[in-house]
Amino acid sequence: MQQPITQAKPAGRRVLRRPAGRLRFPLGAVIPLAILGLWLLALQLQWLKPYQLPSPLQVGTTLAYLAQSGELWGHLQATLGRLFTGFLLGAIPAVVLGLLSGLLPKVREALDPTLQALRAIPSLAWVPLFLLWFGIGETARVLLIALGVFLPVYLNTLSGVEGVDRKWLEVGQIYGLSRGKILRQIVLPGALPGVLLGLRSGLGLGWMFVVAAELIAANSGLGFLLQDGSNTSRPDKVLASLLLFAVLGRLTDWLLRLLEQRLLSWRDTVGNQ
Amino acid sequence: MKQWLAVAVLILGMGLAQKTIKLDYAYYNPVSLVLKEKGWLEQEFAKDGTRVEWVLSAGSNRANEFLASGSVQFASTAGSAALLARSNGLPLRTVFIYTQPEWAALVVGKDSSIKTVADLRGKSIAVTRGTDPYFFLLQALRTAGLSQKDVNLVYLQHPDGQQALLTGRVDAWSGLDPYIADAEVKAGARIIYRNPLFNSFGFLNVLESFAAENPETVQRVLRVYARARDYAAKNLEETAAILAKAASLDVAVARQVITQRTRFVNPSPGGTQRVVLDRITQVIVAERLAAPGANVAQAAATILEPKYLGQALASR
Repeated sequence: MQQPITQAKPAGRRVLRRPAGRLRFPLGAVIPLAILGLWLLALQLQWLKPYQLPSPLQVGTTLAYLAQSGELWGHLQATLGRLFTGFLLGAIPAVVLGLLSGLLPKVREALDPTLQALRAIPSLAWVPLFLLWFGIGETARVLLIALGVFLPVYLNTLSGVEGVDRKWLEVGQIYGLSRGKILRQIVLPGALPGVLLGLRSGLGLGWMFVVAAELIAANSGLGFLLQDGSNTSRPDKVLASLLLFAVLGRLTDWLLRLLEQRLLSWRDTVGNQ
Repeated sequence: MKQWLAVAVLILGMGLAQKTIKLDYAYYNPVSLVLKEKGWLEQEFAKDGTRVEWVLSAGSNRANEFLASGSVQFASTAGSAALLARSNGLPLRTVFIYTQPEWAALVVGKDSSIKTVADLRGKSIAVTRGTDPYFFLLQALRTAGLSQKDVNLVYLQHPDGQQALLTGRVDAWSGLDPYIADAEVKAGARIIYRNPLFNSFGFLNVLESFAAENPETVQRVLRVYARARDYAAKNLEETAAILAKAASLDVAVARQVITQRTRFVNPSPGGTQRVVLDRITQVIVAERLAAPGANVAQAAATILEPKYLGQALASR
C-alpha cells in the first residue's frame, strides 16, 4: 500500500502542478453549495416546514446569538478540551501497544482477540456503565473518548508494522545494521503511515464519542448543545451544533494531515503529489 | 403472477385509502393508557374503517418531535414543553387537559440534612433541562429568593437523576414521577418541597393545520378521550393497575402516583392553565430557552384552544 514508487521524483514537478496567481474554483465546495441550495429549495417548495427544518438564516442567527452571549465559546472550549485530553489518553497507549503487538507475535496473540471484540461495541452502549463506574464527572467523559480513540489507532499501528516491506529489512540486514538501528531507521518510519492513518481515524471516532460522552451529565459542550436543542424543541440549535461538529472535525483532521505531510514527505506516492 | 400483483396493488391501495388516526400514549398520561386498554377509540372509528395507531412517547420532548414529524396527530406533553415548542415555532394547540399531575417535586436522600428549599444554596441538584421538573425547580428556588446561579445544576435524564441521588452523587434531585414514588417506596427518599401549582398540567396537543382541516375528527377523538378521563377519575384502583402493567411498575408505586399525585380536573383548557403558563413564560424568557426573536408571551396567550372539546361535549 505505502510501497514507494521506484522512479525518482521528476524535477520541477511543483511548478507544473498549479499555475501560480490564478484563483481556481475549489471543487470541494460544490457539494456543500448544492446542499445549501437543496436546503433553501426544500423550504421554498415547503417540502419541510420551518419547524422541521429552520432556514439557514435562522441557524446563522442562532450561532451569532450563541457567540455573542459567550455561550458558544464555553461549549467549544469544553468539547475541544475533552477531545484533546481523551485523544492523548487513548492514542499514546494505542501506539505503544500497537508497535509491541506488531513486533512481538506473543503480545499480538494475547491482545488481538479482545480488542477486535471491543471494536464491535457501539459508543452509546458504554454510557450507562461509565456513569456507574466513574460517576458523573469529567473522568467518565474523557475516558469514554479515550476508549473510542484507542481502538483505531491500535489497529492501524499494528497493520502499519505488519505492512513494512520485507525487502527493506533485508536491505538493512545486508548493510549490517544492528537490531536497534533496523527498528529505528526502517521499521518505525515504515509503520509511520499506518500510525498516522490510525491517528486520523482515531480522531474521527473521538468526535463520535464526544457526543456520547456529553450525554453523561454534561452541562457544556457541543453534545450538550445538541441534546438541549432536541429537548427544548430547537431544531435550529441542533443544526447549529451539527454544523460546528462538521467544521471542527474537518479542521482537526486538516491539522493531522499537515502533520502527515511533514512527516511523510519522503514518500513518493499518488496521494503525495 | 399477474393476479398476485393485482391483489398486492389492491391491498396497497386500500391501505393508502384507509384513514389512520395516530395518537401517542405515555406513562405520564394515565388517560391515554386507559383509552388504549379499553379500545374505545378503535370502536368509535371502526364504523368508518379508520384505523387507530398508538405510539409510545418517552417524554414531552419526544412527543413534540412526533407531532412535528407527523408521526402522531395527538401528542401528550407537559404544559411547559408545549409552550416552549409553540414559542419555538411548532404551531400546536392544546385541545384537552388530561390531568393535573403533581409529577415534579424536590427530593433528597433518606439521611440528608437538607430540610427546606433555602438549604439548597450551594448544593448540587440533578434535573433534566427543559422538562417540567426543571421549571418546577426554578420556580421553587424563587420562593426562597434563590436563582439558578446559587445552586449547582447537574443535567441528567430523569432515571439517571434518581440514580445519582440514591448513590449520593448529587445533594438533591428535582425529580419526576413515577421515579420519585419509586425512590420513596424503595429507598426512603424524602420530598422536601412540593407544590401542585408549579406543575404545568398534562396537555394534549394537535397541530393547528390538522385541527383546521379535520375539526370533526378532533371532536370525535376528544369525546372518547373525555369518556376515558371520566372512567379513570372514577376507577382509581383500576387506573393504577393499568399504569402498573403498562409501565412495569410496582402496584404500590403506581397507586401512589394515581391516588396521591394525580388530579382529574376539568379537561377544558382555560384560565387555570393560563396562570401557570404565564409564570413559566417568565422562566423561559429569563433562562433564554426560546429561539432568538421568539414571542413567548404571544405563544402563551394563543396556545389554549377549548373550542373542540366544547363542541364535542355539546353534541354528546
